[in-house]
Amino acid sequence: MSLVSSLFLVFVAAVLLLYYIVPKSIRLWVVIAASLAFAAFLGFYTLLFVLISAVLCYVGGLLAGPSKSNAFRNVFTVITVVINIALLCAVKYYNVLGFAAERLNLLFGASETSNTFFLYAVPVGMSFYVLQTTGYILDCRWEKIAPEKNFFKVLLFATYFPQLMSGPMNTYANLSAEFERAKEVKFSFERISDGAVRIAWGFFKKLVIAERAAIIVNMVYGDHNTFTGWYVPIGVFFFAIQLYSDFSGCMEVVNGVSHMLGIELPENFNCPFFSKTVQEYWRRWHITLGAWLRDYILYPVLKSAPLIKIGDWAKAKFGKKNGKKVPTYIALFILWFAVGYWHGGLWNYVIGSGILHFIYIVLGMIFEPVSKKIRPKIGADKLYFRIFQSVRTFILMLTGFVFFRSATVMDAVDMYAAIFRKGGAALNWENFSSTGMDLANLIVLAVAVLLVLAVDAYKYVPSEDDKPKSAIAFLRSKGIVILWAAFMVLVVATLIFGRYGLGYDSGSFIYARI
Amino acid sequence: MSREEIYDKLNEVFQDVFDDEDITVNDSTVASDVDGWDSLEHINLIVAVERCFGIKFTMGETTGLKNVGEMVDRIIAHLG
Repeated sequence: MSLVSSLFLVFVAAVLLLYYIVPKSIRLWVVIAASLAFAAFLGFYTLLFVLISAVLCYVGGLLAGPSKSNAFRNVFTVITVVINIALLCAVKYYNVLGFAAERLNLLFGASETSNTFFLYAVPVGMSFYVLQTTGYILDCRWEKIAPEKNFFKVLLFATYFPQLMSGPMNTYANLSAEFERAKEVKFSFERISDGAVRIAWGFFKKLVIAERAAIIVNMVYGDHNTFTGWYVPIGVFFFAIQLYSDFSGCMEVVNGVSHMLGIELPENFNCPFFSKTVQEYWRRWHITLGAWLRDYILYPVLKSAPLIKIGDWAKAKFGKKNGKKVPTYIALFILWFAVGYWHGGLWNYVIGSGILHFIYIVLGMIFEPVSKKIRPKIGADKLYFRIFQSVRTFILMLTGFVFFRSATVMDAVDMYAAIFRKGGAALNWENFSSTGMDLANLIVLAVAVLLVLAVDAYKYVPSEDDKPKSAIAFLRSKGIVILWAAFMVLVVATLIFGRYGLGYDSGSFIYARI
Repeated sequence: MSREEIYDKLNEVFQDVFDDEDITVNDSTVASDVDGWDSLEHINLIVAVERCFGIKFTMGETTGLKNVGEMVDRIIAHLG
């Protein structure tokens, strides 16, 4: 069941109805039942792995809790975390962890389809809930939380249906507090209408923008021999639009549904394409993944005894200021390798979503002192420099998206080569529109993207009290009629301009496949 | 060790880690008040504080401290 499908909307309507009519004391049982039913809809393997992960999470938490000796807790924390991550790697990332010879092939051209069993068995959303449940076990070990004794509370945390497929990733402390709060939430028309607008906005982003941008993306990425030269940057530009609309659209639906239940989930996006630097971009794109990796990989690695020793050695060797950067660079490399690896068990992800960003960030850190000196001399406080910063960051992101969307590393390298390849299709309207992007589609896409840009710009400009802004709250402040008019416009626009004709695969959220 | 004595030592640690002799911290000091106190420098600070006081913060404390006041509370708790 895709999050963007009529079946999902019917499912959500049924859950909401039950949720608000049953006594409050049993409403979370409705959510547990709905979550297991949703996992079952996603397939047998998904339900099986979700249940395994929940049991492991529950047992791991209890064994890692503070009532035992530290040695005992450490052993069982490692065992349960390793089993959890190993399951994820074995099922999802076989392509990187397999035999060495096969892996060399992978680097030079093998594709994801090299092992059909693991492709067949991959449970949906595993990359998300495995990290979330692993975080729970570590939180118990690090005494951020007390281990939960009630299995069903852990089961709900591990399987909560809106976020099961694509996140946002959450901590037990946050989500369990939301579940407790939800027990007292009263039905409110305002809550339902706000959630409905977010869901409609998500459908709009996915069906009107992402699916339409995909026409150009598929055309350019699919044929580097024909679509060369300027077609390559154009294709990568539209992939950035496709990916952002796809994933952020998915999050609008997830957060909207959860808001209707009175359970608030963290935001995963905050106007990423306005970022001044690569570091800032990663604080605005897939925010909950960044937070997870910071808390559970970066900090523990930096605070580990070997890294502290390396830091001491480097400070003695290179001086205090430069020396302390050495362990930071090592930890950042491990972090970014993990980011790339998480995105998919193929080297194009490891490079395009990981190592490349590590290089950009480290270069940014190395040149920061020089940049600090230069900035006042070139009018860095002016608007033109601010625009330059965002454009520069966006272009750096595009260089990674070449790898992200390509099937293999060699495919991505070939795409770069295609920029300079002679003999391809001339850049004209006839060729550009040859696979379906006619003028009407291009106008619809441009208008829709400008709308997303306008909403993001509204959110990006800080309010006087520095609180986060919401387009829905803005519409509501203009009156309920305006809010519902916006909802109707989105629904009608999605029905008219949404791309879900023959061949449309509503289950094809890019991040649901990660 | 009194709270004042802890602050005396803590100020020295902050001045050393952030390379600024003018830094003085208090209960309400947060990361945004200190130039250079980002998520990476935070760990350098935590390690320096641990060494200075001969204690070990848990990961929960490392990531969960809201301000310097809470840090001092945790130092006092660890020192027993």
